[in-house]
Amino acid sequence: MKNIIEINNVSFHYKGSDEGLLNNVSLSIAQGETVLLCGASGSGKTTIIRLINGLIPHYYPGELSGSVNVAGHDIKNTELYDLAGVVGTVFQNPRSQFFSVDTDGEIVFGPENIGLAPKEIKNRAAAVIEEMNLKKLMGRSLFELSGGEKQKIACGSVSALLPNIILLDEPSSNLDWGAIEELKKEIKRWKSEGKTIIISEHRLWYLKDVLDRVIYMDNGNIAGEYTGKEFFAFSDSKIKELKLRPVKIEEKFMSKFSSLSHESVNKQEPTDVDSIELKNFYFSYEKRPYIFRKKKLTGADGDILSLNIQELNLPKGTVTGITGKNGTGKSTFLRCLCGLEKDCKGEIISGDKIYKGKSLIKISYMVMQDVNHQLFTDSVEAEVLLSMQEENKAKCTEILDSLGLLEFKDKHPMALSGGQKQRVAIASAIAAGAKLLLFDEPTSGLDYLHMEKVASLLKELANSGSTVLVSTHDPELIELCCDYVLQIDEGKVAGLEKI
Amino acid sequence: MENKKLTAKDFITVGIFTAIVFVVTFVCMMLGFIHPYVVASYVIIMPIVGAIPMMLFYCKVEKFGMITIMSVLFAIIMFIFGMGFLGAPFIVLAGVIADLVAKKGGYKNFKYISVSYGIYCLWICANYFPLIVTAEAYRQNLLDEGYSVEYCDSLFRAVNGKTIIVLMLISFICGYIGAYLGRAVVKKHFEKAGIV
Amino acid sequence: MEIKLDPRTKIYMIFVVSAIVMMSATTPLLWALRIIMTMVPIMLLVVEKRYASALRFFALYIIAIILIFYFLSAESTGLIKALLTGYCGIVAQFSPAFITAWYVIHSTKIDEFMSAMQKMHVPDGVTISLAVVMRFFPTIKEEYGSIRDAMKMRGISFAGGNAVKMVEYRLIPLLFSCVNIGDELSAAAITRGLGGKIKRSSVVELKLGVLDYALIFLFTCATIVFLFQKYIKP
Repeated sequence: MKNIIEINNVSFHYKGSDEGLLNNVSLSIAQGETVLLCGASGSGKTTIIRLINGLIPHYYPGELSGSVNVAGHDIKNTELYDLAGVVGTVFQNPRSQFFSVDTDGEIVFGPENIGLAPKEIKNRAAAVIEEMNLKKLMGRSLFELSGGEKQKIACGSVSALLPNIILLDEPSSNLDWGAIEELKKEIKRWKSEGKTIIISEHRLWYLKDVLDRVIYMDNGNIAGEYTGKEFFAFSDSKIKELKLRPVKIEEKFMSKFSSLSHESVNKQEPTDVDSIELKNFYFSYEKRPYIFRKKKLTGADGDILSLNIQELNLPKGTVTGITGKNGTGKSTFLRCLCGLEKDCKGEIISGDKIYKGKSLIKISYMVMQDVNHQLFTDSVEAEVLLSMQEENKAKCTEILDSLGLLEFKDKHPMALSGGQKQRVAIASAIAAGAKLLLFDEPTSGLDYLHMEKVASLLKELANSGSTVLVSTHDPELIELCCDYVLQIDEGKVAGLEKI
Repeated sequence: MENKKLTAKDFITVGIFTAIVFVVTFVCMMLGFIHPYVVASYVIIMPIVGAIPMMLFYCKVEKFGMITIMSVLFAIIMFIFGMGFLGAPFIVLAGVIADLVAKKGGYKNFKYISVSYGIYCLWICANYFPLIVTAEAYRQNLLDEGYSVEYCDSLFRAVNGKTIIVLMLISFICGYIGAYLGRAVVKKHFEKAGIV
Repeated sequence: MEIKLDPRTKIYMIFVVSAIVMMSATTPLLWALRIIMTMVPIMLLVVEKRYASALRFFALYIIAIILIFYFLSAESTGLIKALLTGYCGIVAQFSPAFITAWYVIHSTKIDEFMSAMQKMHVPDGVTISLAVVMRFFPTIKEEYGSIRDAMKMRGISFAGGNAVKMVEYRLIPLLFSCVNIGDELSAAAITRGLGGKIKRSSVVELKLGVLDYALIFLFTCATIVFLFQKYIKP
């Protein structure tokens, strides 16, 4: 078979950064192959993707040597827009990769850019919508779609350009299980059309039986090459050695994520440990008209409720994982717990104290999925001091030290890596005296090493007396650190089990 | 890249910053509903608050045209939001001159940038154009609304065809000062975080 | 019945109405012209099946007009009456432009708008930037929502009453987010061919129909009569 991509002795160094560089990498990929790039963050996976779609050197400046040839185009001398019909890329973040406001506009965006005739564009769009089963999503605003749906539209938009090569840069990072299944279907469809597919990814289990070849990257070098079969036959210890996330997921964790049958509500509330009691957590996004005062929501409101928890005992001082599909109330639950939704009149009873309304904000703190939103000041130290009622530098130093952040004390929080930012957010939560720590998908898009770090951190937090709740789509994380798993489905508790 | 032509990336950058600056401006404008006095102080608030995103924007500008396009976009948006067509050409004019001044400093020299931003801020005065043109009707409305004659007179002493020059001067000066404040914020946060 | 107006007609409407708004109506004929021009976008809203907003605008405008003509005059005394006169004046003066703008914004897709601008030979750069602006308003709203939540959790929504800090805590994370999103957005857009030398095409076909010509004619006539009546005749 002919090689469609040839990367010869390429070294690359980003301008102003030592991360993600490449050392003399050579790689050829044949027409129709499906290849996985794996390895730790910063090992150069994304850099290779960017070499192939031309973002390096045309968008990300740096020092480049060696040659890259894609489908007969010398990348260095090819303008990016000439590659649009040759290479298509699906990116990591569903929120930031669409250009239009409505779905129809997004599908035709690429073909319009390369100046195709309107009739041809319409035919292509119709074909893509048909093949990918997008009809239901057409004519809608992209802003009201879920992450999975947005990612589907992104795939459709790339498809409409009919590229021969499709690149996916950590496409599953922000997706739930249902959406990952959809993504897998799409990859399979492309494969059956004979397209060349290159996927850079941390989450591996879903790619079983799609891959032809696996490239393992380490520190800017290609450190291993395996066939898909070989790779998925690796033992757990070998995968761990490579510092990759597991390729197999145990059955018992699988079931925590796949859809649930309603009859079997499996509630093993902790009896042997101290627990905190949640009462009357009801919330609805539907606005109901009212004149003088809002009617309190109760369990009787049934269908309109996005959150419907009358009573729940959560184990104190442990890590509880929260699972469930996107849009079934996980985030709503967390938001209500930390007092962000004023209309939720739930109470938390811990020992002899009752917290509700504003006092919820005081005892709980949520580390958001996009942690960038919760960093406000110009140094890590100031960030922690901001949370304290009275500035106490000694205590601040203590907290930072315990989280391994002391050396970054004077740095700008935004200059830190993703994991470090998370820890800064945790530090400020501890400084504020929060007892209930909530994490909204803290490991999406992390590699195995970083996931392990998060897991051990969560455990430590629980051991030091905080109650930790973590919503996640990663079975690996539950295996690593959770004591209990709480399943939420359609706003209700569908199960609480000890692991 | 030594390319002097604007690329898609530049257009997107312009779009993003226009959106942000517009939102900031719009919020300031909303303050005007609290009390008409605030309307007159637009020339002070807007250049100073707007300087933070604008100074970040200036860091990203390297080629001629970006500031001009921003002003064209502002003109279009203000036009659709019903500011009338008198202000639109004025906004674009301010934008082009600001762009030329910044170009003279190679988009790097801060002396030129601060002057350029001061000139750009003159667009704010375009907000007063409807007020001036319909002054008579507007004054009557205010009087009817129960404001005292003195208040109306003082407002229109502040905002009329002659004092518009003074207002322009104030917005230029506030823009000039704002540029330094905005610069400080950019240094404090964005340079320290290493993104510019 | 479905009526699809060309975006260029809509832009022209805004242009004309904004001009008329700037001139105060003094005679009954001028008032009549203004009222007719205000009714057009309201009718168009009805055609768009936006009955609620059409009714609301209609009621608002008509009540303001009736109050002005029959119940109030500039010599009105008493606080409530005075206040009412003032608000009616403002509504009667500025709502035509507002209603038209509202109609245009809610009835035009961004693609249509871009395509109209292209037809009017606006440079591609401006068109692209404008599309980004429109796409970014909802993004800013989303990002700001998250930031506001984060501030609530930290208890710094009012930053202890320090106005400078209040602005800083909101604006800085917002700018960081927007710059990040912008970088990713540009990368995604240019790998899909944005900014090429080839002229962008568009699936939106623009054609001026009978109704477009009729409206343009109507608005042009109204303007001419208005100008003539106000400035030339006396």
